[in-house]
Amino acid sequence: MKEDYKNKLDELPVDIKLRAVDRLKVHLMRQKYGYFSRLCLLLALIGPGILVMIADNDAGGVITYAQTGAIFGIGFFIPFMILMLPVAYIVQEMTVRLGAVTHRGHAEMIWKRYGKFWGLFSLFDLIVANILTLITEFIGITLGMEVFGVSPVISSVTAVVVIASIQLFLRYFTWEWISLSIAAFNLVFIPLVFFVPHLHWGAVAKSFTSWHIPGGVSSLFIYVILANLGTTIAPWMLFFQQSSVVDKGLTVRDIRDGQIDTFIGSVVMIIVAIAIIIITGFTVYSANNAAKLDIQNILSIVSSKMGPLAMKLFALGLVEAGLIAAIAISASTSWAMGEAFGWTRSINLPPLKGWHFYLPGLVSIMFAGTVVLIPNVPLGFLNLTVQVIASIFMPAAMMFLLLLLNDKEIMGVHVNRPWQNISAFIIVGFLMLMNGLYGLTVMFPHIFG
Amino acid sequence: MNENKIIKKVNLDEDWEEFIKNEGLLDYNKIPLKRAKIRGWIKIAFWFLRIYILIMVIMVIIGFSRIH
Repeated sequence: MKEDYKNKLDELPVDIKLRAVDRLKVHLMRQKYGYFSRLCLLLALIGPGILVMIADNDAGGVITYAQTGAIFGIGFFIPFMILMLPVAYIVQEMTVRLGAVTHRGHAEMIWKRYGKFWGLFSLFDLIVANILTLITEFIGITLGMEVFGVSPVISSVTAVVVIASIQLFLRYFTWEWISLSIAAFNLVFIPLVFFVPHLHWGAVAKSFTSWHIPGGVSSLFIYVILANLGTTIAPWMLFFQQSSVVDKGLTVRDIRDGQIDTFIGSVVMIIVAIAIIIITGFTVYSANNAAKLDIQNILSIVSSKMGPLAMKLFALGLVEAGLIAAIAISASTSWAMGEAFGWTRSINLPPLKGWHFYLPGLVSIMFAGTVVLIPNVPLGFLNLTVQVIASIFMPAAMMFLLLLLNDKEIMGVHVNRPWQNISAFIIVGFLMLMNGLYGLTVMFPHIFG
Repeated sequence: MNENKIIKKVNLDEDWEEFIKNEGLLDYNKIPLKRAKIRGWIKIAFWFLRIYILIMVIMVIIGFSRIH
């Protein structure tokens, strides 16, 4: 069979040729009947959804969840995180349909449908937010590796080499499975829950009925809500999943599998987030000055209460979170630049042929890997800036997503249904409300007491 | 055994072009995408976005000026 199509495949450009090989397998799988064949087809089509959701539990996300549990315990934020599951799914599912129907990335769609100004605006915001987020990923990687006695220089350089090699030398199919294998380490936080001393599942269950906010609504509470919302839905996720769907070659017939993929990813993401909140909610919450604890303090409390093995597993999870997010974010940078400027763009491209496509992602990784090593760099300020840019940009990115998903000219029968629009508008409205409230607390710090 | 059956059924020798088209294996850089018409509620959405960005930028400037 391979011989029959070899000549035809050879006529295609190299990036499309490799995608065609994968699609040929999918095409043949689809002809078979039975549950096993259907499962094989699903396994061949899943990837972007799980990857984006697990990468979203990045180093910044792990730190945010850990601090959330440490500051507010489990009372409010466990049920809140359950609410985040449909939020993440509804937002990301739209990118699957948009990518599968148009075969174009998010940056390209904004640029070509709404003009250069909005295209540049979106691209600039994405690139700046991505670079700053990458710095936080490298903070996670270096902090986590320090627990194992590895110096920040060695861990940063190693991470840059590993990420660059994964981006440059693998074709999309292998890149996705290697990335998913790294992402699997994100699950390390789940068994850690069973290391927690005096864990009361009754208290976890009770949180769903009480929704208790320790200390009531305050500026800190609004900040933590916004931070958790920001770690659940982020602009790079929209760009990443849509580009990934396009590079994988999903079509309208694969939308259902893409939806299953996104749902599985959302569930895994929320379970991991809840596990981290439970760990710090039960071990760190009662500590003095919990609001002022940084991740090193939290790790040391985890070590004293759950043992050094648990602390090392937590640190390993932090390193993995930084690594997988750095792979995904740098890929989203490369894809977005390629889409905006019309370059040939695919993870399938060999390094020399696709050097201009890989360059933006690689430069951003090297920049972040270097910045994290500068002594006395204002990391807290950088983290705040990431949050601010992401918060401002997210409603804008969501608006473009909604405009495109309601555009019958490009989406045809796959336009948003009314419930999808209503849900998305509620999410955008809530995000803007929290942004506005947080802005007010910055300008008037004592507004909530 | 199954393989032969599948190849016959798919018959990509005859439908190769259709396979390429259906699977989206085209160079989309070469296929132009028409600019959207900005009118009605889309125009309102864009104005809303401009105002939102302006308000947020003002808030950010005030916020950062208080940090330093």
